[in-house]
Amino acid sequence: MTAIPETSAAGAVPAPGSARGRRALGAGLLLAVGLLALAGPWLIDADPLRQDLRAALRGPGGGHPLGTDHLGRDMLARLAHAARLSLGLGAATVLTAAVPGVLLGLAAAWRGGAVDRALGALCASVMALPGLLLVLVLAGFAPGAFWPLYVGLALASWVEYFRVVRAVAASRLARPDVEAARLLGFGPAHVVRRHLLPDLVGPLATLMAFGLAATVVAVSSLSFVGIGLRPPTPEWGNMMTELLPYHAEAPLQLLMPGTLLFATVLGLALVCGREPS
Amino acid sequence: MNPIVRLAAAFGLLLAFTCPAAAETRTLRIASPWEITGLDPARSGYIFARMQVAETLVTADGAGRPLPGLARSWSVSPDGSSWTFELRPGAVFHDGTPVTAQAVVHALERARSRPGPLAGVPIARMRAEAGAVTIRTERPFVSLPAFLAHYETIVLAPSAYDDAGAVVAMVATGPFRVETLQPPLSLTTVRFDGWWGEPPAIERASYLAVPRGETRAAMAESGQAELVFVLAPETVDRLRRSPRVVVHSQPIPRSRVLKLNAGHPFLADPRVREAISLAIDREGIAAAILRSPASTATQLYPPSLPDWHVPGLPPLAHDPGRAGRLLAEAGWAPGPGGILVKDGAPFRLTLRTASERPEQPPMAAAIQAQLREVGIDVTVAIANSGDIPAGHRDGTLELALFARTLMLVPDPLATLLQDYGPSGGDWGAMGWSDPALVEALHRLGGETDPQARARLRAEVATILHGAHAVLPVAWFDYHVAASRRLAGVSVDPLELSYRLGGMRWAD
Amino acid sequence: MGGLTRALGGRLVQAALVALLVGIACFAMVEFLPGDQAYRIAAGRYGEDLVSTAAADAVRLELGLDRPWWERLGAWLAALARLDLGVSLVTGERVAHEIGHQLGHTLLLSLAALALSVLLGPPLGVLAAARAGTAWDLAGMSAAAALRALPAFAVGVALTWIFAVRLGLLPAAGAEGPAAAVLPALTLALGLAAASSRVTRDVALSVMRSPWVAFARTKGLGEAAVVRRHALRNAAAPVTAYLGIQLAWLVEGVVVVESVFVWPGIGHALVHAVVARDVPMIQGTALVLGLLFVLLNALVDLLCILIDPRAGERRR
Repeated sequence: MTAIPETSAAGAVPAPGSARGRRALGAGLLLAVGLLALAGPWLIDADPLRQDLRAALRGPGGGHPLGTDHLGRDMLARLAHAARLSLGLGAATVLTAAVPGVLLGLAAAWRGGAVDRALGALCASVMALPGLLLVLVLAGFAPGAFWPLYVGLALASWVEYFRVVRAVAASRLARPDVEAARLLGFGPAHVVRRHLLPDLVGPLATLMAFGLAATVVAVSSLSFVGIGLRPPTPEWGNMMTELLPYHAEAPLQLLMPGTLLFATVLGLALVCGREPS
Repeated sequence: MNPIVRLAAAFGLLLAFTCPAAAETRTLRIASPWEITGLDPARSGYIFARMQVAETLVTADGAGRPLPGLARSWSVSPDGSSWTFELRPGAVFHDGTPVTAQAVVHALERARSRPGPLAGVPIARMRAEAGAVTIRTERPFVSLPAFLAHYETIVLAPSAYDDAGAVVAMVATGPFRVETLQPPLSLTTVRFDGWWGEPPAIERASYLAVPRGETRAAMAESGQAELVFVLAPETVDRLRRSPRVVVHSQPIPRSRVLKLNAGHPFLADPRVREAISLAIDREGIAAAILRSPASTATQLYPPSLPDWHVPGLPPLAHDPGRAGRLLAEAGWAPGPGGILVKDGAPFRLTLRTASERPEQPPMAAAIQAQLREVGIDVTVAIANSGDIPAGHRDGTLELALFARTLMLVPDPLATLLQDYGPSGGDWGAMGWSDPALVEALHRLGGETDPQARARLRAEVATILHGAHAVLPVAWFDYHVAASRRLAGVSVDPLELSYRLGGMRWAD
Repeated sequence: MGGLTRALGGRLVQAALVALLVGIACFAMVEFLPGDQAYRIAAGRYGEDLVSTAAADAVRLELGLDRPWWERLGAWLAALARLDLGVSLVTGERVAHEIGHQLGHTLLLSLAALALSVLLGPPLGVLAAARAGTAWDLAGMSAAAALRALPAFAVGVALTWIFAVRLGLLPAAGAEGPAAAVLPALTLALGLAAASSRVTRDVALSVMRSPWVAFARTKGLGEAAVVRRHALRNAAAPVTAYLGIQLAWLVEGVVVVESVFVWPGIGHALVHAVVARDVPMIQGTALVLGLLFVLLNALVDLLCILIDPRAGERRR
């Protein structure tokens, strides 16, 4: 198993000087995206599914503030509705992956020995399985549905949480104060809460933040190879794939979902003080 | 980003300059979406036929009229059931052995024993004679030569087969022979000097299967391929403006159709099927997705097939209002969420389409939105093309969108016989048939009088138009980008050949 | 060298586990997927115009698809034990033969991408660390975030547009000549470099704030020399270890990038096999992709131990 560099696993190397400014910028970006997702569908009048084939790929203006897509649907309305699904799918995937990943990581670090070795080997093998294959298999059961993407991506990504948690927890458990607590008979729940959690929160937060972006990009790549959400569902990743053929005539539209995802990634990176990985 | 781009550019330049210079003989590079899935004629025989590696007894001109291929000429007995095909004397295979009547009969018997168009021909027996092949049909069958132009009947040398009869090498008779073959993506050919006809000017050609439309367009635009077939509609305008290429666009005998399961309780009523037809905005789809308003289908057969296109038929129209009235007449009433309801059941259907043709998913999404306007809730399922006949077989298919060839062989009869038989067809009617149509198709097989044939064709087209069993959505424009460095380019609307033989380098 | 043998031994165990997992996953795929396998294979073989019930029935008969599942699974496992991957249901070629063809291409592409990303990522990361907190740093971070937010195919299409269509420098697709490898490799490398540049920055920054670098500065070494002699060397090991994690991303990226650039590799074959339900081909390609990941990871292990022999001891 490859060791994770301590510095990046343990999180932030704060940038000097403008750290506060960066956090503010990051928070601003996240707020803007969050607002679009939460309030957008209420505020925007247009129906994200309504087509006007005679007004396809129009530029911004004329009743469509951000123009229309290849079937003449309002881009702004689609982006706002997509934000909910993309961020929701991302968050659901990340949480589903994080819970077993963290628990198994803690178990491996706590028990050590054979349990640790077995879990380590399992994790390495899961990493070696092309994650795409997992999703492909699941997507075969219910083509175009939401759940295979969610389950498949979660199954492929719990490993990351396992690795980080195991690495951090193992090093903390070796510290004298933690060992003393264990010798005094404090149970796992107490030790985890009092001694491990404070050190785990930082790296976990960053991992989860970037896992969210990775999920959206993965959905996009999957729809590129023909296994996406079924139309006409608006989702950022799907939108990028759908609009790709029109990259020469409507580059603006293609860039829009990418820009929103970029704002999310950058915002998270700035707020968490760590970089995308 | 900037340093990255600079570094990349430097790296690119380095490699570009260290690349070996182009080989002495120029290669005509072809890109097309279809992959080479095997050597068996029924699999990728069309690629070897189009690349002019392999030949059939008969070929056809752009209008579908039979022309001599490996057979120099043919004749038919007065009763219309005994055919003699004279082989070209002096024709040889790529391994130098002469083309024999036995080899031809072997190829035909092999094709006949496998599922394909020839299996549907009422052949009684085939016989190899000196320099000729005779075929006897059970009943008069006028269209036989067209069936012998299908790629499943390409003639291969005895050395092409292994002991078990599988094809292990593409040893055929065309003006080009295979030099290298790397399935599923690429193939290179060189001119075969032993060919019976006028030697082509092009010495070498290569074929690359490029499934993605964007990539094909980039190859044409950057001059990486001299001939690019099946341009994606959205790339056509851009390529027309490119100084490097000429875009040839022409309608081909293929229609994009919506197949309906007329056996489904919702769709058994002809009024409902007509309403669905009226709800489809064909003009909008042709303009926005296919970028070709002229390909709006007004009936099954496009005007480019004058023998089958019936000018007098009322054109398929877009009239959501009338669609609504027809649905109401059929007993469908508005229900919750704007979805129609009848006997407590909401009007919900699943539309299957395949992703092999990239324009199909957006077309399905457009039809979905248009049917929603009249109160029909459609779920789009993007599948593999095999899932459509599979759904036909097990009865689960409700709606399907696909591009069906109208000329499986250079005679529409072959497609019609497969699609509109007494029990429908995998790619045709489902749960619907019409004895008058079956009878007309049967008579068309044996009828020789031109006037009677014309009447029968019109009858077939008219019955199909009124039945709403399969709804035409759009005709098919075939776009080909040809480099300006090539001269003599022409496009075969039947997709039998890339016509490399008539091309030459312009510079 | 105890660390080395232990690391490689671990990789061997991993390889065996991968083979088992791939077998199970693919078996599940064969057995439980809806849709008729015979029709899908027929569609893959004969194309949309000729796939029909008759063709599917012929395929079912020929391949014995109506045999019970345990017979077919047993046959595959028994064959695998003899290192026989079976025959592709679509092309009829031996799977091992087809993969042997594609493996070279995929290896070439992955290694070129890795090499390019090492040329791009760490140097930019060190640059960002040296200018931490400035606009340069922020620009580097934004670029990395942008590359992470764009799917690989979008980056690939953009690169094709610039280098093949506009500048005419490089081929847009295919695998002819070394020039054809540049764009797909660069597409993959940019994604890898985005991550490794930021990790390098973090590591280099913490190294440069460490006491011994401060000591080197007080010794009177110039800033450039400090970076070169101390920061770079100490940052190398963790960055290399990080590469191991990134390999999973690379192997997946290969699938999409090969499709965009018509690169005749394993990823391309995997996607096609899944669409056509070509089970032996799916099993074979997934197996080889998994083993490729293990192999590359073993290489990274070796590199880590070479750069910093302590690493071999520290690992369990």
